This record gives sequence, structure tokens and C-alpha cells, in this order.
Amino acid sequence: MTEPTLTVAVIDPSRARAAILEEGLTAAGFTRVVVLPDTADLPARVAALNPDVVVIHLESPSRDILEQMSGLSRHVERPVAMFVDRSDVPMMQAAMDAGISAYVVDGLQPQRIRSILDVAILRFNAFARLQRELSEARGELADRKLIERAKGILMTAKGLSEEEAYRTMRRKAMNEKRKIADIARAIVTAADLLG
Amino acid sequence: MRLALGYVPLIDAAPLIAAVECGFTAAEGLAVDLVSEPSWATLRDKLALGHLDGAHMLAPLALASALGISGPETDLVVPLGLSLNGNAVTVSRPLWAEMAPEADDLDTIARAFARVARGRVARGRPLTLGTVHPFSCHTYQLRIFAARGGLDLDADVRLVVIPPPWIAEALRSGQIDGFCVGSPWNSVAVAEGYGRIAAFGCDLAPDCPEKVLALPAFAAETSAPLIRAVHRAGHWCAAPENHRELASLLAHPGHLGIDPGLVRRALAGAVVVDPDGTERRAGRFVMFGAEAAAPSPGHADWILGQMESAGQITATQAQAERARAIYRPDLYAAAFGN
Repeated sequence: MTEPTLTVAVIDPSRARAAILEEGLTAAGFTRVVVLPDTADLPARVAALNPDVVVIHLESPSRDILEQMSGLSRHVERPVAMFVDRSDVPMMQAAMDAGISAYVVDGLQPQRIRSILDVAILRFNAFARLQRELSEARGELADRKLIERAKGILMTAKGLSEEEAYRTMRRKAMNEKRKIADIARAIVTAADLLG
Repeated sequence: MRLALGYVPLIDAAPLIAAVECGFTAAEGLAVDLVSEPSWATLRDKLALGHLDGAHMLAPLALASALGISGPETDLVVPLGLSLNGNAVTVSRPLWAEMAPEADDLDTIARAFARVARGRVARGRPLTLGTVHPFSCHTYQLRIFAARGGLDLDADVRLVVIPPPWIAEALRSGQIDGFCVGSPWNSVAVAEGYGRIAAFGCDLAPDCPEKVLALPAFAAETSAPLIRAVHRAGHWCAAPENHRELASLLAHPGHLGIDPGLVRRALAGAVVVDPDGTERRAGRFVMFGAEAAAPSPGHADWILGQMESAGQITATQAQAERARAIYRPDLYAAAFGN
């Protein structure tokens, strides 16, 4: 479904996440998606862009800035109300779990906003999963380096072959119900202290 | 029981922070995770959707959240007040120089502000003031400040919201001409040489209900240990002999991350108002403990009146009753076995 008439503003302290959301919304047929910087001059930028929907990261300090547009004074430049149909609690939970909040101009049809939110939730969750996988991968790489070092220490200290050194560590780990990386860390630490 | 409690990094989060850091919650058998929130909107929504078990909250925002006029309508209760007062109105040094008040009393200063503001309107460049949230005492104190000088804030001044940690910088860069914010951000603007404190919040609205402890209504019946812990912490914060320790606790990078000296001055009510070193004292600059603790339905009336005069609500009888009902002196009393 294309939504040629809607302008969507995206505000996120993380540029990478904003880019991923922008790409996702564009792919979903929203032709006017604009990433705005997360700074104090936001009202002027929002007023200039005149978006129909603002999707903003839940943890952005700018949310309070946006909220003035819905109730600060009688002199609002643009009426903005927080989206999410207040009766739709599961949707609100899904948005919050993903780290999203959204503001829309009053009068926009709920189902049109819903499709934007659906895309945003999918993209944000995918981004979070990627980050998690990346940090796990970094952890595994660090573990592997540690095990290599410990193996080398054992080989030198006890005259073992590489295979024997690895088996020694693995046996120790199984006996003590610990991870092999923990055993390796202990060996490296001990060698640092003693060597 | 493990609880997640949210706060926005400000001096008046002290009772909540001290409750955890000084062991008052542990003494009640509570394990608490303190969560620093980047904005009031985030804190409000997390409380509304059950991601927080309680929060340090702007008293007007707690009420607006319960009435469903800010974020999702939330069934919350206020069993304890955290603080009274603590805000101030600060203007840029160029604006202060232009105001050049002939005396140091509030009315003279407010009239001088009004005169400059009207002049700017006449030249088509109205002054811009910053507040921290639409539903905050800061918004109402700016309105009171304007009214004291005979000015209609709605007609003659642009009002914008800026989060507290950004507000001093917004003044420095000339984006705004003044603001009303809580401690320590007024003092930060003065210490860095670009702000002049024009009025103390405690002079604009004496004993203003500033922050409250807000809890989800469903947790009300089991909240006695938390109420006791935060209540004790509030008393601890109020005692001058603890101010040194409290200041270093709050100043810690994990909480406010600012100069502990500024925190101590605010706690003592001895505030430097001008970059030239001029100091003003106010005994009730920010209040914790006995005077702030009791949740008073009268506060709801005052806040609702301010909301109405700001055009934020035209309260029905039912809304007025609902507003009073979120304040729960009964829970406060029950926590102490009364």
C-alpha cells in the first residue's frame, strides 16, 4: 500500500536506528520520510517540515519538547497529540517495548498511523536484535582469543600439544561446571601474576 | 520485593535517590532499581504501561496523567509528597541589563520584565521563555511572574519546552531569553556567566507542590514499606547535617553529574543570583521532609486552578473530584500505623 500524501518525521538519538527506520518506511511506500536531528530547536524544524506523523525514540529528551505542541499554551504553532489509540493497550505495549513513541496531527485516521507504527516496531526490534547479536559475537571472539592464549600458556608450561592443552581445559571446565572461557581467563590471570 | 523507580535527574529527586543509596528501602526489605529517565514524557508513559513501579513526578503531570490529558490515562495515586519549591526564573544577562530593575523586590523585577516584553512585542520580536513541561509548576510560575508585572503571557511571550539539562545551553546560545527550571540548572547558568536569576519560585507561589511520589493504583495497598522508606529519606534530606553527604550523592555522575557545591547552595537556600556574586537567601528555597511529605488534596485544587488559567483544561465536577482523589492521605497515614 502506498501512502504518497503523508509526511513522516523520524527523530532518534541513534543515527543508525533512524536510518534503518527511514529505509523501512520508504520501502513500505511512505515517500516523504525525513530524519530530524534530536536538538532543542526541534519545534522550528517540525513547524517548517509540517509532518503528519512524528515517530520519535521513547528515550529521546525531545519528547517533552514535542509535547508542548499539544498543550502548552493557546498559541500552539501546530496541534499535535500523542498517538496510539488509548484503548489499544497491546499496541502501546508493543511500541514501548520496541522503544517507540509517536505523535500525530489530530484527525489523521488511526489505521494509517497503525501501519507506520507496525513498520517502526518491526524495524526497531530488528535493530535491537542485531545489536544484541553483535555484542554476543564480540563476546565470543574475545572468548576465543582468551582460550588461544591460555592454550599457549599451558603448552609452554607443561610441554603439552595444542590438542592436549585444550582437552585439559575442557576437562577442568566440565568437572567444575564452568565455561571453558572462565578456565582460560583464570589461567591467563594466573600467568600474568606469576610470570 | 523488587521495584523499578523512575526519576528525572534533578535535586528534588533527592528523597528517592537517598531512600535507595542510604539504605532506607533495604531496611524495609525492598530491592529497588533506580532508573534515570531522559524526559518527563518517557517517565510518564513507562509508569502508565507498568514499566515502572513508581516515580518521582511533577505534581501537575501526575494529575494530568491521571486525568488522561497528558499521555495515556493512568490509574495512579499520590501517597507522598517529595518536595515543595525549588524552582527559579532566570533571564539572560542582556535581558537583565535591558530590564534594569530599580529595586530587588519581585514586583519591581516583574514590572521591568513586562516592560521589555511589551517593547519586544511592539517590534514584532516577542521574548521567548523556556519551561520544562506543559504540565509543570514551572509553566504556572512563569505565568504568575508575567501576571505580577501586568503581562499576559499567552499574548506577549513565546513559551517553549526544553528539557532541564539543555535549558542553560539554550539560554547561552540565545535561543531563549529566560526560563523557569528546578535546581541546579539556574545556578549552572549563573555560574557559567550568562544567566541572572530574576525570581525564586518560592516567592512566586509559596510552598508550591513541586514533586510527588506517584504509584500505580493497583500497588497502593502494598505500598506502605516504600512510603515509609521514602518518607524517612525525605527527613534525612531535610536535615542540614546531612547536606554535605546528600550533595555528593546527588552530584555523582550516576545521578546529576554536576558540581556538588551548587547542590549544597540550593539545599541551604543561599543561591548566587548574579554572575557578579550577589547572593540571595530564602529559608524555603527547596523543602523536603516534614513540610513536603503529607499528600494534600488541596494541592490538587491549586494545580487544577493553574491548569484552567493556562487554558489546559476546563475541569468538570467529575474531573475535579478525580484530581482530589489521586492524593491519598489515607495511604500516608496507614504506612505509619495511624
